Amino acid sequence: MQLLSIHFVILWVIFFALYYLAPKKRQWMILAVASGLFYVVGTGGIPIGILLTGAGAYGCGIYLKRSLEMQIEALSLLSDKEKKKMLKQGFERRRKRVQILYFVCSLGILLFTKYMVVILPVLQGAGLTTPRSDAFFARVVMPLGVSFYTLTAIGYVVDVGREQCRAEENPAKLFLFLAYFPAITQGPFNRYAKLQGEFAREHIFDYERMLFGVQRFVWGAFKKLVIADRINLFAGNVFGSVDGGIPGSIYALAVVSYMIQLYADFSGYMDMALGISETFDIFLPENFKRPYFSKSVAEFWRRWHITLGTWFKDYVMFSFVMSGTGRKIGKNAKKRWPKMGKHVTGIVGTMLVWLLTGMWHGRTASYILWGVYYGVIMCVSLVLEQQYGVWKEKLSIREGRLYSLFCMARTWVIVFVADVLIRSESLSQAGAIYRAIAADFRLKEGILRVSDYGLSRYGFLLLAAACLLWLAVSVWEEKGKDVRRMLAASPVAVRWCCYYGVVLILLITGIYGGSYDTAAFLYQSF
Amino acid sequence: MEEKVLEILEEYCEEALDYTGDNMMEEGVIDSFTVINIVSELEDAFDIEIDAKYVVAENFRNKEAIIELVARLLDE
Repeated sequence: MQLLSIHFVILWVIFFALYYLAPKKRQWMILAVASGLFYVVGTGGIPIGILLTGAGAYGCGIYLKRSLEMQIEALSLLSDKEKKKMLKQGFERRRKRVQILYFVCSLGILLFTKYMVVILPVLQGAGLTTPRSDAFFARVVMPLGVSFYTLTAIGYVVDVGREQCRAEENPAKLFLFLAYFPAITQGPFNRYAKLQGEFAREHIFDYERMLFGVQRFVWGAFKKLVIADRINLFAGNVFGSVDGGIPGSIYALAVVSYMIQLYADFSGYMDMALGISETFDIFLPENFKRPYFSKSVAEFWRRWHITLGTWFKDYVMFSFVMSGTGRKIGKNAKKRWPKMGKHVTGIVGTMLVWLLTGMWHGRTASYILWGVYYGVIMCVSLVLEQQYGVWKEKLSIREGRLYSLFCMARTWVIVFVADVLIRSESLSQAGAIYRAIAADFRLKEGILRVSDYGLSRYGFLLLAAACLLWLAVSVWEEKGKDVRRMLAASPVAVRWCCYYGVVLILLITGIYGGSYDTAAFLYQSF
Repeated sequence: MEEKVLEILEEYCEEALDYTGDNMMEEGVIDSFTVINIVSELEDAFDIEIDAKYVVAENFRNKEAIIELVARLLDE
């Protein structure tokens, strides 16, 4: 079930009504039932993966809680500092072992599911499967949102171990956290410490909040249907073309379009998810903060898929750097290279995070290369950060509007190069695209042939107008203005003209039907 | 102790000394790479071990929070 489907809207309306009619202490149950229904109908199968991962996280959380309680009790009986330290270390070691066992099992399920998609067709081709086993895999092994709930569950277990949240005693409440329906397919990644409080609060119906939620949902649908899906008509054709003679200028336009498409698609989904959740008075974390205004790649990744970045930073990077191995690497590096050695753990941690980020996004070599590319750029820029200041001073570069624009353009170029890798059908196509852009640009021919690839000139004009509207809203937001509140404070006639305008644009110019599945979101495949 | 912490901050993230808000990590004043360097220097300078559970935005929200964290770990 997609968020952009009539079935989903019906589910949303029914559960919205039930939610506010239910006793305040039981409202979370309505959300749990809605999430279960969404999950089962959405997958059309048996949610074994999420139940196993969830049961493991639940058991692990309870064990960690009990162990921490026993540790406090045992420590209170001792007075010797050294003995206390040893006892604490013993408890910590046992807790760590249990956590590692859980991580291995849940990541095992994740890898099995992710790579089964690749392995299954091979097995089918070799005649090693039966119709029954195919049905089993389709209904049980291909679950919805497996990457999201696995990482969310791991985060929960780590947080309980670090005493950053308390272990949940009620398995149904933990299930709701893992399978909360607006976030299950593409995130954002939630933290239990935060969401636990949101679910536990009493929620009272508020007309303005409902309106804001619906507004945000419609705005997300606008980005998805009017911008992302329209771009796909063009970019999909260019990247899917077997014609080797495409001018570099067309490729360049297709890559820039894809950069906008990915952002419109993913941030559009987030707007819808956050908007739906807002109508239930549950506030999810923001996942995007206008990343294309970033002046560096590091800033770009602080503004793009924020919750994934924070997840990797908190649970992978810091865990690795502060582990025994990380500390050993750091100490040895400092001894060996007194000046630059201090950066080594950070470099290893950054590279590890980016390698895993690449693997998380896709199964091919292109994604690994994409991760390594960003990792190297991050490391180089962070190590040379202080040097940049010296160079800037020597070259008398002043930080003004022009310099900011230059920095933004530089970020675009870096992201452009990376996106060629992940959008191309293969590494050889990516190579061909780089070559065409660098040595076979043919601008004039590109302008003449631009409408040959699935999107008419009228379509481009419409797309440009929609992007301009989005840009205007983004510029306002970047200046710290709350566009929704501005709209709410405007005269009734202006306000409703805007609402109807966006809905009409959506209905008239949105891309519906045809062979392309309009409701499929790009990030869902990651 | 305070002086030493400020010295380390000055070496790795001068901006942190002038920062008056309460979310250095989210506002991009201090990135994860710098946090790692600062943690490593603090560990060496005070002979303490800063576990990953302490490396959270809350403990790195501003220079005062970092000083507080070191004081807490020295007390343990």
